[in-house]
Amino acid sequence: MAEYTLLIILFAPFLGALALIFVSNRQVSLVRGIAAGSAFVSLAASVYLFYAYDSVKGGFQFIQRIEWSRQLGISLHLGVDGIGTPLVLASGILLFAGIFVSWHIKDRMKEFYIWILILAAATIGVFMSLDLFFLYFFYEMSVIPMYLLLGMWGSHTKKYLEMTDPEGLKQRDSVGFIFNFAANSKEYAAMKLVLFLSAFAVAALMGILLIYKFSGLNTFDILILREKAHFSGPLATLIWLLIFFGFASIAPIWPLHSWSPVGHAAAPAATSMLHAGVLMKLGHFSIIRVAFEILPETTRELMPIAAVLCIFSIIYGGLVAYYAKDTKYVIGYSSSSHMGYVFLGMAALDYISLSGAVIYMFAHAMATGMLFAMAGWVYDQTHTRDIPSLGGLSNRMPFISAAFVIGCMASIGMPGTVNFIAEVMIIVGSWNKYPFQVVVAVLGIVLTMAYLFKMMRGLFYGSMAEKYSHSHDAVAVVDRMPLLIMITVSISFGIFPGHLYSVVRSGVDPLIARITKVVPVAELPMNIPQASSPTVPVSTSREAIAKVTSR
Amino acid sequence: MTFSLTLSASDLLLLLPELFLTLWLCVVLAVDFSFKRIVQEQLAYLTIFGVLVTLACLAWFDVTGITGTLFGKMFVVDRMAIFFKVMILVATILVILLSIDYVHRFSLFRGEYYFLVAMSALGMMFMASANDLLSLFVTLEFATFGFYVLVSYLRDDMASNEAGLKFFILGVFAAGLLAYGISLVYGETGKLVFSDMTGANPTTGLVIGFLLIFAALGFKIGAVPFHSWIPDTYHGAPTPVTAFLSIAPKVAAFAILLRLFLVALATFKPAWALLIVAASILSMTYGNIVAIAQRNIKRLLAYSGIAQVGNVLIGLAAGTKMGTDSILFYLLTYLFANLGAFAVIMAISNSLGSDEIDDYRGLNRRSPFLAFAMLIFLLSLAGVPPLAGFIGKLYIFVAAIKEGLYILITVGLVNIVVSMYYYLIVVKKMYINEPLDSSPIKTSGPLRAVIYVGLAGTLVIGIYPQPFLDWAVAATLMFSNLVGPAASIPPPVTPFGG
Repeated sequence: MAEYTLLIILFAPFLGALALIFVSNRQVSLVRGIAAGSAFVSLAASVYLFYAYDSVKGGFQFIQRIEWSRQLGISLHLGVDGIGTPLVLASGILLFAGIFVSWHIKDRMKEFYIWILILAAATIGVFMSLDLFFLYFFYEMSVIPMYLLLGMWGSHTKKYLEMTDPEGLKQRDSVGFIFNFAANSKEYAAMKLVLFLSAFAVAALMGILLIYKFSGLNTFDILILREKAHFSGPLATLIWLLIFFGFASIAPIWPLHSWSPVGHAAAPAATSMLHAGVLMKLGHFSIIRVAFEILPETTRELMPIAAVLCIFSIIYGGLVAYYAKDTKYVIGYSSSSHMGYVFLGMAALDYISLSGAVIYMFAHAMATGMLFAMAGWVYDQTHTRDIPSLGGLSNRMPFISAAFVIGCMASIGMPGTVNFIAEVMIIVGSWNKYPFQVVVAVLGIVLTMAYLFKMMRGLFYGSMAEKYSHSHDAVAVVDRMPLLIMITVSISFGIFPGHLYSVVRSGVDPLIARITKVVPVAELPMNIPQASSPTVPVSTSREAIAKVTSR
Repeated sequence: MTFSLTLSASDLLLLLPELFLTLWLCVVLAVDFSFKRIVQEQLAYLTIFGVLVTLACLAWFDVTGITGTLFGKMFVVDRMAIFFKVMILVATILVILLSIDYVHRFSLFRGEYYFLVAMSALGMMFMASANDLLSLFVTLEFATFGFYVLVSYLRDDMASNEAGLKFFILGVFAAGLLAYGISLVYGETGKLVFSDMTGANPTTGLVIGFLLIFAALGFKIGAVPFHSWIPDTYHGAPTPVTAFLSIAPKVAAFAILLRLFLVALATFKPAWALLIVAASILSMTYGNIVAIAQRNIKRLLAYSGIAQVGNVLIGLAAGTKMGTDSILFYLLTYLFANLGAFAVIMAISNSLGSDEIDDYRGLNRRSPFLAFAMLIFLLSLAGVPPLAGFIGKLYIFVAAIKEGLYILITVGLVNIVVSMYYYLIVVKKMYINEPLDSSPIKTSGPLRAVIYVGLAGTLVIGIYPQPFLDWAVAATLMFSNLVGPAASIPPPVTPFGG
């Protein structure tokens, strides 16, 4: 049973979606039950996976290999390492929470759950693929559900709804308005997202095809390719750039970010959660899985690109978030900004900083998931996302406002939340290599505080407009549960990061050892008391290096 | 050249599927004439029965490995011919099912309609087996002959007449080019059979002759710059005929193109590969860009079909065994997605009487089944995983990258994104926009059957392609001696750290 864990995690949502096709939209509780049930199976299996993953042994575990096409050298090769495991868990948690966050959806509920299950399953598929073909397969598969989720259940921006042409007529579908960046329709956001991601995905596909051709191995298998394929010179640079920018667009790294906040703003709450929580991590993860594993030397040479671009991500995203007036734009741009930290952690190519980056992905999934869920709740109650027109909602929704404060604290990286550990690790780990970036990153934290406090005050404190006096707090169990789950996870891993840390470390160590060819240092960041007894002994890491270099 | 016609029983066996279908066509026609009270549905099912028996016969050939040549190599039955014939017959069955509701719109000659459809299928079966220049010409014209009538079957409709006339004039022109090309090639080489021509001296006359033949075949598959008949003909023709036209003649013409380029012209590959690359880039780019501006779904699919042909030509440009596998496989995926999409178009046209994309607004609310089916078919055409079209496109790209066709692949990949835009515009109308009139749309039984077959084909091939890939690979074993021009084998692999 245990060896099928990955298949259960991956296919439970797919089977749930398949089952939903045959259920009528009128059987509301059955629809909800199937969706929540399949998400729960997937979550339970991923919790099992997280704790059953043997961090002392390291490497890829729970491997499944099913021959898929002999001619093309493709097999459904699944397996997780210390990097994939926490991300699978994060996807499981966010999917389960997302099902409950969208509990009260009225319009075409069945289809909503079908697409969200497919979206989450495809995302999970990327995190466990050990075959380049399936990595791309699941990656591209996650894009189309986004189109429908945004288009069918999304919302327009406030300015878009008020927009008129010079004669005072509503002209919302005209072509010219598509290029108005201040105001967007959900159709525009959805189309932009799909075309943007697809355009860069085919760049990554070109990189994958070049790897396939020039390895000469007739296989897409990452484990075989990383052992046997060797690329150098301009070809390696070309492939690396295609892979990096192809996948970094979804991350989203600075000049390629513009689809992301627009998409966040248009999306319904559960979709924003999955989008910001896990979909964006597909970019970092795929870069780690493809570029770091297969092109280690080129990664060492070219990763400084990420170190430069991450500055713009952090500062630009933060500044826009500070001036944005739409709750979802603020959270969306804050996500863009925070993804810059992950790139910084990756760029430093250090044991501590890359571990920090992976933990940051996990932590950010929880924090931003909470914020989007609550922004969605506020929008459902008040039908606006315009911060200046809101205020004083803490009177009406004490639970939501308390949870929102916790979410903001997590997002800022308060000690006690897992974000703090991740941030400290990134900062400590990249200090030697990129001191300037670290200074920028610390300023970015200040900026994060500024815009999150500003939004918090604008939404929940101050005086409340009369028309919002009928808004409700989250009282029912189904409404509170998703938030409580994410808060619990965020805080418990913030206080007891030991297992998370050792799992991540077991994935990061052999990778960095391959790239830098330097044996990891046993020192651990002093700020984390739990990790003071290293769960990954030096000898294990050394063995891992010896194993790699002896091949 | 002596030409003696001796037919033994085992020779006749090779012709069994065609002979049976010919006889069955006579039966259908006789039944139509003899029984005044026969309903056209019954004729349709009678025709389908005949086609199914033919299909079973071909399946028997494929399983037992019955192959051979006839009439001094004019007619060849190999596994590739069988593969193409099966595709043509499956398309025929689906098209007949599509037609059942539509035939009521024809004022006259309803019975002959099925005869003509099956007769065209018979001609295309012969095309798939054509192995020399004469049989190429005869079978091509035989297959097109039925279509000239079918395209203008809506006698009172100006658009249909216009479509028929355009198709006829340009088709006859293409036939003239073909005949002239054949005469030049025969004059230069003195050979008719493709396999005898390999290694012929490339004289000017021969080159011009083959260019003319390529132009005529390019007209059949609708590759740019021979595409100009496609949009108007697709638009004006009765929709089931459009559906038939969009897949079957292309499939049959690709059978001939493969034999022509990879057998007769195998030695000149570096020369013609450039021609194919140019046609492929032009078809993909032109088809996709013009499709963006379309407001009519049939025209949209016409232009998307031009782009799809450009995609298939990538496989031909690769010119290897894998390239041919990928062409066969791609055509199979295209068959299910395209006919499925036409089935949805028919269902909507039957109840709304319109093919405008604007009338697809809110289809998801009016008929979730039709909207979902259309979504799957369009996404398969666009090449989105986990649908069949994605595997088809990827297979073609892998075949091409092994030959180092980087520019072609780059253009192909960019075109995927362009095509996504206009397919998603239709998806937007169906799913996001609200319907003007929310009355539900009913789908008749035969259309539903076609949609189910299309969905099953698209999803099964997409999720588990191995048996279909194996079939395509086995069908093209005759090409396994083909070697690509790109001799740039990558440097020897050095294991990491070794």
